[in-house]
Amino acid sequence: MKLGSYEVKLEKKVNFTGWQATVISILAILFALFLVGFIFLQAGVDPLLGYKEIFSYAFVNAFGLPLTINRAIFLLLCTFAFIVPMRAGLWNIGMAGQLYAGALGAFAVAFAFGAKGALTSDLSAGLVIPAMIAGAAVSGMMVGAIPGLLKGRFNTNEIVVTMMINFIAFWLVSHMIKEGGPFMGSGGEGEGFKLPESIQPPLYQGIPFTIWIALGLSVLLYFVFAKTKIGYQIRAFGLNPSAARYAGISPFKISLLVFIIGGIIAGLAGYHYFATVPGVYKITKNYGDFGDLAFYGIICGLISQGNPLTAIPLALLFGGLTNGGRFVQGKLQLGFGIDYALLGVLMIILVAFQFFFRYRIVWKKMEKEK
Amino acid sequence: MSTEIKRGDTVLAAKGITKRYPGLVANDHIDFEIKAGEIHAILGENGAGKTTLMKILFGLVQPDEGEIYVFGRKVNFKSPLDAIDLGIGMVHQNRKLISAHSVIENILLGHPSAGGILNLKRAAEEITALCERYGYKVDLQAKVWHLSEGEKQMVEILKALYRGAKILILDEPTSALAPPETEKLLASIQIMTGDELAIVPFITHKLPIVLTVSHRVTVLRRGKVISRINTADATEQSLAKEMVGREVIFRLERVEDVEKGKPILQVENLSAFNDKGFLDLKGVSFSVHEGEIFGIAGVSGNGQQVLAEALAGLRKAASGKILVDGIDITNSTSLQRWQNGVGYIPAEQRAVGSIGDFSLVENMLMNYYFEDGFSKWGIVDTRKIRNLTEELIAEYGVATPNADVRAKGLSGGNLQKLILARVLSRMPRLLIVNLPTQGLDVGATEFVQNKLLEAKKARAGVLLISEDLDEILSLSDRIAPIYEGGFMGMIPGKSAERETVGAMMAGLQQKATVI
Repeated sequence: MKLGSYEVKLEKKVNFTGWQATVISILAILFALFLVGFIFLQAGVDPLLGYKEIFSYAFVNAFGLPLTINRAIFLLLCTFAFIVPMRAGLWNIGMAGQLYAGALGAFAVAFAFGAKGALTSDLSAGLVIPAMIAGAAVSGMMVGAIPGLLKGRFNTNEIVVTMMINFIAFWLVSHMIKEGGPFMGSGGEGEGFKLPESIQPPLYQGIPFTIWIALGLSVLLYFVFAKTKIGYQIRAFGLNPSAARYAGISPFKISLLVFIIGGIIAGLAGYHYFATVPGVYKITKNYGDFGDLAFYGIICGLISQGNPLTAIPLALLFGGLTNGGRFVQGKLQLGFGIDYALLGVLMIILVAFQFFFRYRIVWKKMEKEK
Repeated sequence: MSTEIKRGDTVLAAKGITKRYPGLVANDHIDFEIKAGEIHAILGENGAGKTTLMKILFGLVQPDEGEIYVFGRKVNFKSPLDAIDLGIGMVHQNRKLISAHSVIENILLGHPSAGGILNLKRAAEEITALCERYGYKVDLQAKVWHLSEGEKQMVEILKALYRGAKILILDEPTSALAPPETEKLLASIQIMTGDELAIVPFITHKLPIVLTVSHRVTVLRRGKVISRINTADATEQSLAKEMVGREVIFRLERVEDVEKGKPILQVENLSAFNDKGFLDLKGVSFSVHEGEIFGIAGVSGNGQQVLAEALAGLRKAASGKILVDGIDITNSTSLQRWQNGVGYIPAEQRAVGSIGDFSLVENMLMNYYFEDGFSKWGIVDTRKIRNLTEELIAEYGVATPNADVRAKGLSGGNLQKLILARVLSRMPRLLIVNLPTQGLDVGATEFVQNKLLEAKKARAGVLLISEDLDEILSLSDRIAPIYEGGFMGMIPGKSAERETVGAMMAGLQQKATVI
């Protein structure tokens, strides 16, 4: 391409460093914020003020910050549920279904211990909480195993299967918590029963212990991919399935394994949000919104390029922006959906800027034509 | 073209062609010209700049410097379409045909007359006339996936000619052709030169072909023109020397003194399906012994690929039995076979034999991750595999800055050395090698073939699958030509005649099993 007396060319980058990737991502975020600034302007709000409100609520405010972190934990778990199959070249679009299953599994355990309709009952937290976590993990795993099995055995398209299971799981939750469902709450308002206080996990500064699960998993997964035999096999299969098969790696085992792991982690995300976040402690009426939120795990996973450590700041950012965006919408009386607009633009720009991971633009003064 | 072309006119001239890539000058002031009715071969090893030059002449890549003249006029190709419009045709080594379409549909695709309503009848008549002129026999209504490699190439040539090509660029024209097909191709090229067409074959190996047909040869090395010779003044030896930059020994020393031991591999009546569900391998039986190279000679697509994959555990056997050291492994997984001393070097280096985005260390791990010594508690012993990789890189002379670069950056020859190093370092009892020197230059080919002989001396059983007759003849102790999924016979390598094996590969002659 020619611009004036300059020739502009794209050159493929041979490799790029983590540092460059960080700079590019930060530039992308700034650019997206700049663009969304026009929406603020159009609504008659000073963009700088808008952003100040969003960020101070999301990351500084004593009330907003725990909300941000709780969302980030949820997003982080969803991101891992996506990343693990992604490293094997498979697409888990079923975090929503798996986390619904996880929530159902956790509450089924509580139900079995007689937690329903007994708000003041004194259950043993040391017994029931681990059992609920296990329940969430096992149900997430079972739902995750279905696409894994079908992929490994019949090479079925995992995207279609996971998507479809999302619908099944969505309505299953509805069936369980709405009119006459076994997990229906006492109010009859279409939500699940509330956990007794005795099995609401303790909080530290408004944050439940699940933050350690999320952070621990990010280190663990990073280590698994970088150093272990199984991580190597998953990566090999993800980069070149034929070569992996040649090297004796079983496509069936890998497909099943990554979806089982993904399902377990998504199940934990379900447990985290519905059973540990202050003020929730039940499967809420709007549980579908959290299924939708889970899809941001795909974005975080793609932008972090499957790196579980890079996913942490991304999950915080997205968690903070959904949270702060919703807040500022009320406070500054903006039109509905400013938070979604912000996220949408951010997502597109982040993905678009990935282009610069692979190419650089070269400006060259053209020689005069002879 | 309105201008009449006379024999001896310069039809294409390139002057001072230069193309730089980051860290590399692919073409360094290359001059090249070709006259009507001439065959002017371009010879060079991988990485000599042939591909770049070819792409520049066909308009796929624009040169940084230099000028191209077609029929005396300066041209500036923006895309291959410009080149095609000026009468340049290209036949790629990797066929660019749509396999689900018929031959005539493929020929017409992209032709200016195919813009609106097709006049299939007239086109068919014209194409048939072309076929007759050059001695081609091809069913215009056949679907391309039914065709052999040679027929597909024919279709590509017809496509270029029907489009009005006066200058034909051929990329490795004889690779993947059976000897009789090669002869047919050469004959047709010679008729074309009689019609004042100019032919530019690009060739890495198979030097004899260069010598038999071409009038002039331009030799490239490291992006520069090393010499331009009339073929009449050249010998195979002198060309190879120009190309590689040193003397090359052509006759491999046959290794005869290895005592043939007990059988390692026994195959009984093995059949297998290909990916399309056709029975590609139809009941072959043979055995490979310790210290023996068993050569399967065949043109690609005659079942040898399926055979190799079935033996390596990557494809299910439809029927029959595979025994290694007397143990039935017909239903074992590929991992079990690796662990039991089977080593496989696939033909597809990049698609199967390596992982491009993995470092060389990680690629080395492909055949070692499952070994006890290379991991503890499920954690890979990174230092151990790195040391092994570095040792092997040094031993096999893999040209690379270090062991951490991605495999996709290696040239074909270097990558093959790495794969060879990885598999041979396991000291396999049975080594299966499929097209080990395909696409490699003279130097790398020599290296690989010597390594196979070393494996034989180390008393491994080697199953060599190749379509290169010279390779088969100089390495194998026994030769089984394969045609349409079955062996045409089995002959001792020492006394095998080139012509006989060539004819058997093409399915023309069957010989009773002698051994």
